[in-house]
This record gives sequence, structure tokens and C-alpha cells, in this order.
Amino acid sequence: MSAAQHQALVLGGVSFVAFIFFLCFLLPSRRTKFSVFAACNLLFVALMFSAVALVDLSGGRTEIMVAVMTELPVVLIVAWVCLALAGGLPAQLGTLPAEPVVRRPWLRAMLASAPLVLLFSLGLATIVGLLWPSPAMRVYAPAPPQFFVLKGLIMVPEGLYSGLAALVFVMAGRAPGLKRRFYVKNLAFSVGMVCIASIASESTVFAGLRVWLGGEGRRATLEPLNTLEACLAIACILAFTAGLSLRYTPAVATTLLHRLQTGWLRTQEQFESLEWRAVSAGAADRLSHASDAVVEACRIKGLSESDTQKALATIRLVAVMKDPSGETQYITPGAARKLYELQEEILCDDVLASKISWAAGWRSRASEPQTVKSAPLHDALKAALDLVDNDGESEGVLTPPLWYYIVAVSAADAKMIDPAHVSMQLRDGAEHRATVEAYDAAKRALRALEALRQRMEDRPG
Amino acid sequence: MRVDVPKRDLTGPFLGKLAGFWRPLRSLSVAQARVDGTRPLLTAAEFQEELAILGLSGRRFEPEDYSDALGEYLDISIAVHVIPDSWHPELSRLLAISGRLGELRYSEQLNIAAIFVPGSLPPLVLTLTILHELGHLAAGDLLIEPDESDEDDQHAGEAKFTTLPLKKGKKLARGDPFAEESLREREANLRASYALFAGCLGDDSPHAFDMYDVL
Repeated sequence: MSAAQHQALVLGGVSFVAFIFFLCFLLPSRRTKFSVFAACNLLFVALMFSAVALVDLSGGRTEIMVAVMTELPVVLIVAWVCLALAGGLPAQLGTLPAEPVVRRPWLRAMLASAPLVLLFSLGLATIVGLLWPSPAMRVYAPAPPQFFVLKGLIMVPEGLYSGLAALVFVMAGRAPGLKRRFYVKNLAFSVGMVCIASIASESTVFAGLRVWLGGEGRRATLEPLNTLEACLAIACILAFTAGLSLRYTPAVATTLLHRLQTGWLRTQEQFESLEWRAVSAGAADRLSHASDAVVEACRIKGLSESDTQKALATIRLVAVMKDPSGETQYITPGAARKLYELQEEILCDDVLASKISWAAGWRSRASEPQTVKSAPLHDALKAALDLVDNDGESEGVLTPPLWYYIVAVSAADAKMIDPAHVSMQLRDGAEHRATVEAYDAAKRALRALEALRQRMEDRPG
Repeated sequence: MRVDVPKRDLTGPFLGKLAGFWRPLRSLSVAQARVDGTRPLLTAAEFQEELAILGLSGRRFEPEDYSDALGEYLDISIAVHVIPDSWHPELSRLLAISGRLGELRYSEQLNIAAIFVPGSLPPLVLTLTILHELGHLAAGDLLIEPDESDEDDQHAGEAKFTTLPLKKGKKLARGDPFAEESLREREANLRASYALFAGCLGDDSPHAFDMYDVL
């Protein structure tokens, strides 16, 4: 077996073992588009080197073609990695660029040019090789200067792009606040790309030594380099395997996020904005007196701000749902029930429910942000449905909170709902009677305030 | 949204004639671009790219942070005015009757944008309305010259929609604004919802995670 066949056997063996490892361990557990592509490349490289080891392919242009074919998988891997970092892969293979690339358009353009430049260089090297054949596959044989040109055309761009990709992986891994798993993952890919860049540099030096180093010293110098190349290849495969095997599952899946966006968020926004429009445009005119009385009754009963907000949200919903005008036609018990059910779905997921929040106002960092649970709308929807929906689907309120009594009394008083239904629902107990008294007191206070205001306005001067 | 486009000083007769020759040529080039320039609606992944440009990808942020970062990137001053109902009782009613929730004004000359929203809006709607108007700024919708906007009927189910090329001004989005106003509104809504979720989730967002795991 010649030295070339021996080297091909070693590299072919390494590639084959790596392919088997990918096939048995990596692909079943974590199949990404890149890992499948890398596995195919490893198989191709293993077959190519096996062919070189088994069949003597030395001589003329065949040797050049075999040399180019063995370089092709590495070129394709580097091109894929660069394109993936630039976010230039087709949509079905992945679209997002690496975070550090997004803010640097020049870096993005450089990385995106990798496939074109690398394949062009490979094509040019093939032409050079076919025009001036050289012993490309005979490892230690002296070579003409054209061989150095051929190697340089392939290895210099490959080394540059690999180095650039390694740098981008390091930058991505060093992003502040990044989870440790991503740091290690990007570091592993960076090591893998550094190995490819090192192999490219080593190959260029190797080709130069074959051209310009003569005599016995040549083989003695080239042999350690050959061993180094095999070690770098193994290190590269191990680094990529480590990077690919590290997985991270985000707390919220893409499909769930999409569902929330098109389901809950759209529904709640439409519901709340339509309700606001209806109220602001003057529909539900019974609301203004009722809401003032509700606020005053809440104050008399010493309710918290949060409970007062819930009471207000409920009376507004009841007023809009019971308003016969055209502006309020979309705020129906059916729409309210749909939104309530979507909110309940979110609340079933503790992680999600705690994460989704929005500010209570513009530049109001001092106040707590609202969540689906804490926002007054959630309890208000349930309460409004209990009061309005007489179709039997509503479950009723077993032990209603005080603010619910106030809203029920207010809604009955404003003839938004049937007073008999309220009396029946609240079982006409002591709490109900106390609330009616508080509500009457609130109305008296408001009437007195209104009379005072009127007298002040009528006073001459 | 309203845009104050600065008037060009073409008062000289020579410049006037030149402008007369130029107008049909420019219309021709715009028409050509309309035929060629199409793109689909913004995806969550593309929005994540925009956030990365603003330095907000993988971070929890409030609409204020998004507004500040966008203003800094576009090199304009963005002011958000939440008007309490007691100040202008008619504002809410007028907006509600016109079917709008907020108003965006932009002055190219002064390099300022102002968003006006009524304070009586429910908090979630207020947040989304502000993000919606900021979305118009990010998309470069305000850089469209009034005579270029196109109301051609396009099928809602189409995957790609006609865009308008911009000759000047800076925008955050990679793609040009849509020619049809309803699509610009739809995309501003999408941007608002993406921004809300991205701001809530921070590095738990699956799209933020994709940018650190490209292979």
C-alpha cells in the first residue's frame, strides 16, 4: 500500500466512523437539516477515500478529479455554515441569521458570498489541474508549482471563510445574558471551524513543501504534518458532533406562540377595542350614571382599587352587551365567552400565564404590569356572563365577591338586567341587602353632589 | 397616520420644465418597480431580525424601549402622547367614531414623529396601538410619497403583495412598504403583536433562540 493509499485509508476510516456515529446516535435524537447534510457528506468522503485506498487512482487527470472530489464535501460544509450564519438558506432549511451578523451588513454580505466564491475557486482549481496535471493524490511525491496554485485556489478561500465563521460563532456565544448551553454550542462550532481553517492552512503549507522542499528532508517534514491533518480532522468532527448534540427547548414553542397571536391576542384586542369604541362613541348611555354609582358604592364598602376596577369593567361589559344600538353589536355573550375560554387556556399553563404581561400605561414602570389573570377583564368577563347570559350555559357564582354584588345591584337598578334574576341569583341574603343599602347611599351622595354643582352654576357672578 | 412631506423648491421656469419632463419618466420607473417588487407579509422570524438590529433580540423590553431604540436607529425623535380624556373629552369620541384608536404624525423636515392615543384605552389595546404606530415607522410606510400609494385590489389569499420602492429616508424593515394601505395596516398589526410577545418572552422566545442556534 502506497503512502497516499495509507492516508486515504486513515481519513476514510475516520469519516466512516463519524458517519456511523451520526447515523446511530445523533440523527435519531436531534435531526437538524445541517446534521443530515453533514452525515451525507461524511458518507461521500468515506466512499471517496475508500475508493482511493482500494484502487490505485494515481496518474494524470483522474488524480486531479479525485483530489477535487475529496475536497468538495468540505467546501460544501463551509459554504452551508457561512450561508446559515448569514441567514441566506432557503426558507425550508432555516432563515434567521446569527445574531452578530444582523447588525453588520458587511459581514452578512461576506458570509453570503461564500458558496459562490468557494465553488468558483474549486472550479478554477479543477481547470488549472486539468490543464497542468500534477500528482495531487501522491502524498509525499515532489510536485510542480501548478500543484501549489491548485491547492491555494481551494484552500485559501476555504480557510478564510472557515476563520470568519469561527469568529462569528465566538461572537454569538459571547452575547450578554445568553444561556450557557448556547455558549458551549457556539464554542464547539467555532472550534470545528477553526479546525477546518487550520487544515486549509496546513494543506497549503504542505503543498508548498512538496513543491519547494527537496531530498530526504521532505518526507521527514511532511509526515508529522500528515498526522496533524488527521488529528485536526478528528477534532473537527468531534467538535461538530458536540455542538449538534447539545439541544435546547425554548419555554414557549413556535406553534403555541403563533396560536396565541392569532387566537387570544387578536380576539382580546378586537373585543376590548370594539368595547372601547362603543362606550366612547356614546353607545350604552345608561353606563355613565351606573359606573359613577358603582365607584361610589365601592368606596363606601371600602373595596380595593383592583376590585373597583373589576366592578367598573363588569358594569361596562353588561351595559355594552345589553345595549341595543348598532355600535355594540359585536360585543355579545358569545364573543365574551370565546375570549374567556381563550384566557382560561393561557391560565392553564403557569409558565405562559406568568410571562405574558403588558404595561398598565405608557411609561408607568412604577405600577405592576397586567397579566391575563390580574387584568380586570378576566374576572369581569366571567361576572358579566353570569349576570347577562340567561341561556343556562353560565355556571353562576357560588360565593360572589362584594364587587359582584355591587355590579349586580347597579345593573338591575339601571334596568340593564332583570332585577328578579339578580334577587334569585344572590338569594336575597344579608350581603345583598347591605349592598342595596350601600348602593342607595352612593346614589344619594351623587344626587346631592349634582344638586350642589347645579346650584354653584346657577349662582349669579 | 399623517405625513408632512416637505415641498420642493422648483419655482424656477427651467426647473419647472425639467420637473415636467421628469414626472412621466419617474412614474414609469415606479410602475416598473411595482411589477417587480413583491413580498409576503412580515414573519415573526423576520421581526426578530429587526429586533436584533435594534439590540433588543433575546431581551425583555417594554414598548418604551422599542420606541427609544427605533428612534435612535431611524435618527428621529419619537414622542408618544397619551391624552387623558379630561384634557380633550372629544378626542376619544372622535377617534372612536372614525374607527381609529390612535394617530401618528410625522414631519420629515423636523425629523420628528408624534403618536397620539387616548388615555381611556384599555392597557392592552393602548400598548398594541402604540406598537402598531411604531410599526408604521419601522416599515417606512411614512416615507411613501402620497402620489405613489396604490389602492389596486389584490387578493387577500395571495402569498406575495406589491411593494413600493423608497427613494430616500431610513427604515428598519428589509422589505419595501406595501403599495396597498390595508396591507400596510395588517403588517403594522403583525409587528405590534410580534413586539408584544418578543418583549414579554425575552430569551424564552423561540425566534430569539433560533439566532444562536443556526445549525
